[in-house]
Amino acid sequence: MAAAAEKDYNALSDDAFRAEVRAFVEARYPEALRFLPRRVRMSEIRGWWNTLSDHGWIAPNWPSVWGGMALDPGKMVIYLEEMERHGVARAADQGITQVGPIIMKYGTDAQKEYFLPRTRTGEIIWAQGYSEPNAGSDLANLQTLAVIDGDDFVINGQKIWTTLAHDSTHIYLLVRTDREAKKQKGISFLLVDATTPGITIRPIRNIAGHDEFCEVFFDNVRVPRDTLVGCMNEGWTVAKALLGFERLNIGSPRRPQYALMRLEMLARAKGLFDDAGFLDRYTAIKLDLEDLASLYGRYVEQVKRGEPLGHDVSSLKIWAMEAWQRLTDLLVETGAEDGVIEGAQDVKGVEIDFLAPFYYARPSTIYGGSSEIQRNILSKYVLELPS
Amino acid sequence: MPSEHAALLKDSVADFIERGMDIARVRALRDTPGEYDRAVWRQMADLGWLGISIPEAYGGMGLGLSEAAIVAEGLGRALAPEPYTACAVLAASAIAASDNEALKQDLLPAIAAGERIAALAWQEEPGALDAGHIAARATPFEGGYRISGAKRYVSGAAGADAYVVAARSDAGLVLGVVERDAAGVSLELQAIADGRHFGTLALDDAVLPREKIAATGEAAGAALARALDRASAIASAELYGVMSRALEMSVDYMKTRVQFGKPIGSFQALQHRAVDLYIQQQLASAVLDDSLRALDAEPEAGVRAGIASRLKARCSDAAVRITREAIQIHGAIGFTDEYDAGLYLKRALVLAAWLGNGAQHRRRYASLALKAQA
Repeated sequence: MAAAAEKDYNALSDDAFRAEVRAFVEARYPEALRFLPRRVRMSEIRGWWNTLSDHGWIAPNWPSVWGGMALDPGKMVIYLEEMERHGVARAADQGITQVGPIIMKYGTDAQKEYFLPRTRTGEIIWAQGYSEPNAGSDLANLQTLAVIDGDDFVINGQKIWTTLAHDSTHIYLLVRTDREAKKQKGISFLLVDATTPGITIRPIRNIAGHDEFCEVFFDNVRVPRDTLVGCMNEGWTVAKALLGFERLNIGSPRRPQYALMRLEMLARAKGLFDDAGFLDRYTAIKLDLEDLASLYGRYVEQVKRGEPLGHDVSSLKIWAMEAWQRLTDLLVETGAEDGVIEGAQDVKGVEIDFLAPFYYARPSTIYGGSSEIQRNILSKYVLELPS
Repeated sequence: MPSEHAALLKDSVADFIERGMDIARVRALRDTPGEYDRAVWRQMADLGWLGISIPEAYGGMGLGLSEAAIVAEGLGRALAPEPYTACAVLAASAIAASDNEALKQDLLPAIAAGERIAALAWQEEPGALDAGHIAARATPFEGGYRISGAKRYVSGAAGADAYVVAARSDAGLVLGVVERDAAGVSLELQAIADGRHFGTLALDDAVLPREKIAATGEAAGAALARALDRASAIASAELYGVMSRALEMSVDYMKTRVQFGKPIGSFQALQHRAVDLYIQQQLASAVLDDSLRALDAEPEAGVRAGIASRLKARCSDAAVRITREAIQIHGAIGFTDEYDAGLYLKRALVLAAWLGNGAQHRRRYASLALKAQA
């Protein structure tokens, strides 16, 4: 375990900090994992996790007392930008980005002492147990039940679309603890060891052929009552305490850059920049992404000023994800018959995988609040249209 | 950018529009040959708006496009027919780049004061974005040049006292000022969608006197290109004002119009439609801010052109889409002449087409990017 870095990164100039992050990432990040058009598995990324953790850099958003970098918003943006610029894959980092901050805010001292150091080192890897077969966009309809029995909760039910659950050691769960209460009320937040008897994790193959998400079954799973975070029946509030950088990061204009680079290489190889029809469509998407960068930059400035993000940031997610999809649509179309051949192939000297980025972009308008849910949010809270 | 200026200017613009710029005035001025209100124009001059981007040495405020854009956005919201962008930005920028001190001293303070109105008469073909297509001839003689040719799509021509004309001599481009009442100058007006006019200027051996030559050769080309990019940016700000007001009108209407016993704004099909328009407006706003900041740093010509094209493309398309859909959201009432939604659509159409529409600017952006790569 690394000594917690006591260095005050916020005292560095932006340029100096950026240079330090860039140099580190370029020197240490595995070349084979750059710009991966899919979620990375823990077995592939463990080495990089350890590298970051040993360096004291795994938790940029955490305070130094828990071994984080304690970055201010401006430095945080630089950290994320440099990771994305280099095409660093996102590990199963929900312990760092989500449940860690939740434990810090709502957890007991015992929970903090136990979970935070182990989460940082990667000894504990978290999966998010929120969605259920009948609770997708309507998450508050979740039915997985936790009943108090003596000093334990007994959990029965099913979670689904649990990303990388098969790589996790623990699951943070939203469960129903009061069946009488309406919807959002009556939900509690639990921290559950994934090896507890009665838990079955089954990977689900996605259309890209990867086992990235899972279904998780709970059959009389008995966990101690001290797995509860925050108060009974207030789990919805606990879960909603997230956001901020998560919401900003999802709209990053750098995410589509792998697909964009490939499309440009392909267009050059095939001479398509001389084709007015292609050029019009390519330029429209290129400008959609450039303009996304302007919109993103505006929210970055807001975060840097320390202002909370409002509901209007949903427009960033909608535009980023839909523009990314339009780009990968054009990539496949430009490939013609080559575009539907599975795996990387050589097209006029360019090594290109058409389908992987296309598949990778597909769920982006579904996860993290579908584009339709985001539109509902904007309609209700920003345009203030009636319901 | 001095944000103090910006804040004061914002208040002043909002106040002025609130007090004196209702849509009834716009309607009354529609299709009149005068096109706009000279008294309002002088008030705008008194507020300092016409000289915002004119250097202080020539009676202006010497501020940037960021400040000019605040005025343009307000005028766009109010559908003001006054030729702010055409005269105070486009024509003034072309003159300001000149090294003819006497000409600048003569014209720029008069433009800033609202005493004289100039329009830039450069374009000859529809869709042209640069001087490459200019065929009007400038034939030198001892007193200056004689200019022959036809200039089209001249915005602000109807009320202009003078024209900044671009023509070609054997030695390259010539840019200079020709008075409206000079011999050999005749103007025809074509009514355009928003109740204003494009001027077609016929020049038949019209004399451009030596003392009125603004620039020749490469300097003339550079001055024209810079003026067009700056005016594209300010027209984009005007478009942003147009789209913002049209979106507000549509959302307000959705909250009050009741059908099937409910406000139509409660229907998800319309909500999502309105949200997509809102996203376009937000993109336009973000691109506008970024672009104005970048343009005020005076980047080199190729970079500047790319910035202007990205901005004009987004604002043109967003404004036309938002105003077009405003008609649909309002239903039949939106299609009436009596309701204002149509006025917003028509102004958006005109400002989008003028100085190059979205498709044209995307093409220019693409060719600039390819040139930069090569």
